[in-house]
This record gives sequence, C-alpha cells and structure tokens, in this order.
Amino acid sequence: MVRWSNVGTIFRQELQDQLRDRRTLFMVFVLPILLYPMLGIGMAKLSEAFQEQPRRVVIAGCQNLPSISTESTDKTAPPSLLDPTETAFNPTLFESPGDSSRLIITCDDDPRWLDPDTRRSLLRAGEADAVLVIPPDIAATMARMQRISIPVAYNSADERSQITYLRITRLLENWNLAIVEQRRIAEGRPEGATDPVRTEAQDVATRAEAGGSVWARIFPFLLVLMALTGAFYPAVDICAGEKERGTMETLLISPASRAEIVLGKFLTILFASMATALLNLGSMGITAFALASQFSKMPMRPNASGVTALLTAPSLESAFWMIALLIPLAAFFSALCLALAILARSMKEGQYYMTPLYMFCLPLACLPLVPGVELNAFTALLPVTGVSLLLKTLMQGDYTEARRYFLLVLVPIIIYGLVSLRWAIDQFKSESVLFREAERFDLRGWFHHLFRDKPRTPSAAQALLCFLLMLVAYWFIAPFLSLSAYSLLIMQVLVILGPPVVLALLLTRDPVLTLRLRIPKAADLGMAALLALALYPLVSELRVWVDALFPMPESVRQALAGLKDLIPDLPTAFLLLAIAPAICEEFAFRGYILTALERSYRPAWAILLSALLFGFMHVLLSLFQQLFNATLLGVILGLIAIRSHSIFPGILFHLINNSLAIAAGAISSDPNSRALSDRLFRDRSEALFHWPIVLLATAFSAVLIIRLVGTMPRRKQPTREPATPLGTGQVVS
Amino acid sequence: MIQVEHLTKAFLDYRRGWVPAVDDVTFSCQPGEIFGLLGPNGAGKTTTLRMLSTVLKPTGGVARVAGFDVVRYPEKVRESIGFMSAGTGIYERRTAWELVEFFGRLYQMSPDRLRSRMETIFDWLQMNDFRDVMGAKLSTGMRQKVSIARTIIHDPPVLIFDEPTSGLDVLVARSLRQRILELRDQGKTIVFSSHDMNEVAKLCARVGIIHKGRLRALGEPAELLDRFGQPDLEELFFHLVRIDGDISTVRPFDPAL
Repeated sequence: MVRWSNVGTIFRQELQDQLRDRRTLFMVFVLPILLYPMLGIGMAKLSEAFQEQPRRVVIAGCQNLPSISTESTDKTAPPSLLDPTETAFNPTLFESPGDSSRLIITCDDDPRWLDPDTRRSLLRAGEADAVLVIPPDIAATMARMQRISIPVAYNSADERSQITYLRITRLLENWNLAIVEQRRIAEGRPEGATDPVRTEAQDVATRAEAGGSVWARIFPFLLVLMALTGAFYPAVDICAGEKERGTMETLLISPASRAEIVLGKFLTILFASMATALLNLGSMGITAFALASQFSKMPMRPNASGVTALLTAPSLESAFWMIALLIPLAAFFSALCLALAILARSMKEGQYYMTPLYMFCLPLACLPLVPGVELNAFTALLPVTGVSLLLKTLMQGDYTEARRYFLLVLVPIIIYGLVSLRWAIDQFKSESVLFREAERFDLRGWFHHLFRDKPRTPSAAQALLCFLLMLVAYWFIAPFLSLSAYSLLIMQVLVILGPPVVLALLLTRDPVLTLRLRIPKAADLGMAALLALALYPLVSELRVWVDALFPMPESVRQALAGLKDLIPDLPTAFLLLAIAPAICEEFAFRGYILTALERSYRPAWAILLSALLFGFMHVLLSLFQQLFNATLLGVILGLIAIRSHSIFPGILFHLINNSLAIAAGAISSDPNSRALSDRLFRDRSEALFHWPIVLLATAFSAVLIIRLVGTMPRRKQPTREPATPLGTGQVVS
Repeated sequence: MIQVEHLTKAFLDYRRGWVPAVDDVTFSCQPGEIFGLLGPNGAGKTTTLRMLSTVLKPTGGVARVAGFDVVRYPEKVRESIGFMSAGTGIYERRTAWELVEFFGRLYQMSPDRLRSRMETIFDWLQMNDFRDVMGAKLSTGMRQKVSIARTIIHDPPVLIFDEPTSGLDVLVARSLRQRILELRDQGKTIVFSSHDMNEVAKLCARVGIIHKGRLRALGEPAELLDRFGQPDLEELFFHLVRIDGDISTVRPFDPAL
C-alpha cells in the first residue's frame, strides 16, 4: 500500500531542494528565459550579417553585345543583357528587380580573361566569382536566329563561385525567355505558341496553417528534447547525488516504502521535466512572436511568406494538445531517468549515462523530422516517435487522423512509463544497486560465475537476453533460408525453440522446472482445451476488427498469399502453422521467459510482461496486425501456465487455437462442406461465426478466465530455494 | 529489544562465488542496555547493522528488532528504530529544522506531536542557534546533532549507532557518547559499533568482538578479559585475531585466489 502522505512529503521536500539548487534553477528557469531572446537577437543580427555580399562577375567582350536599346521602340530588337551603365545586369531579367545589385559586373577587355588557362587561374585566385565570355559574333548569330552559346567559367569547389554561377544561369534563362517573347510579339503569334503550358500554384493552406506545418516539424522535436533534458539533471541529483552525499541510506531506513520514495522522487522529476519543456516552449514562442513582428515591419519580398509562416505561432488548440501529450511523455522520461540515475554511485557516474540515453531517445525523436515518416500502426507504438508524430499531426490540424491514433499512441507510452517506473522501483529494492561497491569487472570471473553459481531458474535479465537472442538468431538465420515450407519449420525450431532450450540447459540448474516440463493434471488440460475452443470465435472477430482498423498494405497481403502457396496440403499446414508454433512458442514464452519473470515479479506483472514480449515478437518477426491477438492470447496462456505449473496445457491451447484457424479457413473455402460452413459462419470469406455462437462462446470463456484469475497467487511466489546457497550452519570461508 | 540468531549474509563475488560478510552471528540486547559491536574495518559490523535496519536481507538466520522479524515485518522494524552512522549525510539544501521535520512526517507523526517533540529535542541538544541554517553550512558537530535529532525524532525504542564517532574530533565524540548514555538511561535498546576499543569499554555493558564476519567473543568486558587472560580490550582483540591468523596460515596456498 502506498501512503500518499509520504509520497507528498517526499515530493514537497525534493521539490524544495531542487528549487534551492542554483544549477537546477538555472537549467530549468533562467536558461530558457535568457536563451531564446538572446538567440532571437543573435538571429536578427546574423541575418543582417548574412545579407549576401554582391558577387563579382567579369564579362569579357562587352562590346560584342547587341547595342543597348532600352528606350528603343523597335519591337524586334532583343532585350539587352546589361543595364545602360554597364555595371549591372538588366534589372528586368531578375525575379525581383533589387536582386540585380547582388551581382556586380565588370566589363573587362583584358585578353587575360579570354585565354582559358589564365582565366582558370584567375578564377581560382578569386579575382572574380564567375566569368562570362561573350562571343564576337553574338549579334549576327542572334539576328540569324541561330543558337548562341555563352561560356560561363566558375569554380565549383568555391561555394561563392557556385552560387554566382547558379544566379547567372537563372539570369540567362530569363534573358532567353525574354528574347523568345520579343520574337513572338514581333511575329505576331499568340502567347500559347511559345509558352503553351504554365502552372498556377493554388496553396489552400492559410498562413497560420503553413506556419503550423513548419512548427509541426520543429516543435515536437524540441518538446521531446526539453522534456528529456529537464528530467535528466534532477534525476541524477536526487538519486546519484543523494547516494554520494550519504543521505540515501537514511531515507531507506525511514518508514517510507521504496515505492513511496520512488514515487515522490518521480513526481519531482516529472515536475522539473514538464516545467523545463513548457518554459522553453513559452520563451521560444514569445521570441518567435517578437521576431515575427520585427519581420513584418520590414519590407517584404514576395517569397518571404515562408519566413512569416515559420514565425507564426501554433494555435491555442495545438498548444493544448501539446501540453496534454507532454504529461505521459515526460512521465516516461522521468521514470527512465530515475531508473538509470539510481544505478550510478555518484553524480559523475550519472553523467556518463546521459550519452546512451540520448543515443536511444534522439533518433526516435528525430524520426518525425524525416519527410514521409507518418503516423501508422507501427510508428505509433515506438516509445518517443509515436508521441511526437501525433503532436505533428495535431499541429498540422489533421484531427481525424489524430483521433484515430490517439489511443494507440497514448496507451503504449503509458505502458512504457509504467514499466520504466516499475523498473525504477525494482532498482530501489535491489541491494546490489543501492549499496554498489566499486568492483572491478572481470570478464573471466563473470563467466565462471555464470556456470558455477547457476540459479535454479533464470532471472528476469536472462528472460530479456533470451528474447534478444531470438531476434538476433532471426536476423542471422533468415537470409540463409530458402522460401520453402520446411525452411519455415527449421526457422521456428532454430529461432524460437533454440535460444530458450540452450539457455535453460546451460545457465540453470533445473531446466525441467525452468521450461515447466511437468506432467499436467487432466483437469488443466481439459480446461485449456475448452478455453481454446470457447475463445476462438472472439479471436476471429478481433482479427477482423484489427484488419479494419489497421489495413494491411497490398504488398503484404500478396506476400501472405504467396506464403500460402508454399504449403502443399492440410497436414503440412497443421505441422507448420499449428504444431510447430505451439511447441516452440510455448517453450520460449511460457517456459523460459515466464518462469524467469516470475522469479522477480508478481504473477500478474510476469504474465503481462511475457505477453507483451510475445506480442512484440509477432510484430518483429511477422505482422504488426498480430500484436493485439498475440498479446491477448499471451495473457491467457500465461494464466494457464502459472495455474497448471506445466507447459503442456498451454501447448494444447495454442495447438487448438491455431488448428481452428486452419480448419475454419479450409471449411469455409471448401465447396463440399457448404452445409457445415453455413451452419457455422455468418461471413464465409472471413470465417466469422454466427453472432449467437460468438456471444455464447465468449460468455463461456469469460467464466473460465474468471476462474483462472481467481486461483492466481496474488503475491510473488516465495523462492523455492534460499537466495544463496549459503544457509545457517553452512560455513564457507 | 534486539535478538539476533545465526545471522548470515553472503554476497556474490564473481571470482570467489558466495562470500559471507557476516557468518552465523548471534547476540541480543535488552532495553536500557548498550551492546557494543567491536571489530576492525571490514569485519562485518556495518553489514550486521544494515540487516537489523532492514536495508539488507539476511541470507540465513533470524533477527528480531522490537519483537518484529526483520524479513517479515520490515516496515514495523523501520518504525521502531533510529539509525545513525558516520556515513549518514544530511541534506545540504535543507535547514536543520526542515530536515528533522521531514523525517518526523515520514514517521506519520501528527503535526502537534512532531512540533512539541522537535522543540524538546532541539532544546536538549542545544540546536536552537542553528535551526534555520542550511545543511551545507553546518559544522561537523552541528551535523552530528542534526543526525541525532533525526534518529530519535519518533522516540524509537531501539537505536542503532554504526561507528557514529569515526572521523569526529575528541570533543564532539565525547559529547555524542554523553548523549548516547542519556538515551540509554531513558530505557532505549542501543547497539553501538566501533573499532575503538576504549570507546566501547567506556559505553557498553556487553560487547561482541567480530572479525572476518564471525563473532569471536561475546560477554561483559571485564568477564571477557578474565576469560582470555588479557589486560584490556585492545590486547584481547589482538589475541583473538592472532588465533584466527594461525588458522588461516594452516590453509594450503591456493594460487587461484
């Protein structure tokens, strides 16, 4: 039982401590208030400094250009390239006339510019940014309406020269167009003759929306970054710092339970994280407003709307969503930082953990910045990415899409937060974490220890290792297998069955107990079989719902159909899709992994975690759409395994469940069994049962599940062995 | 009161396997008595006392504090003890008053009782001059007083002092011992560990001498000196350690260690 008064006392004191800490105050309050106005001023100044320097262009052979005739009424004369003073290009050839001052031209008849070799070295020496060589016969060629070519020499290794070249290209294109236009008018042909198609941009986004889309990319990223930074420093201070200053032990000996201490500290970190994120965003918003109003006073260039769009603040509604989503995100970061920070013995060691934490979080936070990465069923589940993508969608004003994914983002991030918090509490209960001495890590000694001091059943860390081994095995084995029915079988045996069996044999003293290889009671077998039968109609309904919510891409659908062609007949289908998964997956998830989790967690947590791992495995190795069914079945299989102390009822359940799917498919597609399938299914193509069958079976399975849950042990099983091989009277020294 | 029977704690060491830090230790302590745990650094004193204060779980044996088993009722045990050690830090960003108040609240004391108790303790320890001074600015002696106040704020029947005087100057250590004697006279059950033989001789009615995790001798100081024929506790201690050393030299040399 958590006494909230204790949590409150710890929270208030920790918060007061943090508010009295100059470093925290600076990081959380002062820095954002000062930083962004400074950045704003800096940006304004920088943009002045970045006013582009005029580039120097040398034109060799100015005198060859057709005579200048701006005032000429002669419609057939081509427009001039230069303005009358011959120090700049003709301003009308630029998109915005002011741009002509950004290119200073020099008419230089020096023969040095005409020789390609000296021209090159002069350019490389930076004497000019680009050189135009006007051919001597230009006027005559133009008059004959033949193509002229104007060499433009530049140095692509020099960025300024490169930019100058691009501008000149643009300019010459415009000159080209102007000449064509001139000729069209002269020949009296209609506009469409030379310029038949023209695009007309019609942007339906309002200026605020355009602004939103720019904010929508940047804001979620910044929010994530700030929430993480805001959580990290206080976490290190109130965990590692408390150890370092010697107050941790005192707190642990107080009557406050570990959960109360962790919650109190967690709330403090959460507060700091949210305060940091909100203050930063607030300050940034105000700076942006100020910048925007400064810009709006400036004379606008037509293409400057992008700048205003960037500086238009997001709407109040998106701001609300931002804060609402910040809470679970900050909670996840706070719990994660807390669990990491308690591992550290000192503040200094705590700082070391920052790099791996950022390496983990930043790529996830950066994903939404990548164009084309959008909310979908998979990205929604990623710990940080889901939230920032949802924020992006909300800020773009796409509320229908956001509503569709809201729960799918919120529920996982809350689960990740809870799991991290639970991890933090576990860390606080661990003697080796709290009283960690500086020990030398000795790899050989550690290996010796692994084999010498084998535990009877594996630890939670080994469960995770087993899961990762399965993924790694898949990664390495998959490329070597051909696409055939039997490679599917080999894959399941090597990837799913291999790691848990090998680990159980190598690293535990009791592989039989670890893998639950006990003869089951007949009653348990019977119940598993009944439950599998009763649950199946609901399972197939769920499958269809999930498919409707998260439709499979067509390519995946085709790949699946291709997979079906691999399987020649029904017995092979049973072997590959029912018998093999039932055995392999049960050994792995209800055998090794659940036993391992059971040693460290209460049964409810152990079942939930193993079911989540089971679900993730299906996402990673197979289809995202299987996540929900696999997790749900994982929970029920976990219940069965813990109640029966045996793996076999679970195998039976799994076998029946998968066989029913195969059988239902076979019956509904077989024209000979039309009568039977009409009696069973209301929708033959999807093999959906008649509603009465679904309801009755579901009600029956609910009764069975309630009975199962009722017999569940509430507390962690007392370890069947002493925590260490040493007991009273056994003296080892 | 405190009852410790066959208490054992082993830690896992990657190279040596399970190594006992405390091995089969048995002693008891009654109300109004100070029991001294005497031993060099690393003997297992701190590990024993941490098991009594429930932050470490024993790997064998039984310990009851104020009638509660430390494994089965750790919360009850924590409510009944005050624990203080040399390593006990104080919060640098809290004042003396806030720190004591904080722990009082964690002991679920009512505001009125907490306030009157704090006034009494601050008077008794003469802490009123620095009650609003931040922890970071307190001198060592003041910090010790804050720690004592924190230890006894909830008026626990059992007090555990783990080398409280180590690193203190003579005056502060002496005043601390004086306070501990006064607490004993109030009827508290007190366990006091130290590596200082003279200190233990001055304070404790009974002592246990611990070395390499095992209790080598247990009894009243005078009776122990008689039994082993030694002039004082220090000589007694060396005597006991020497016996132990003789045993260890008999052990065959193991190049793997």
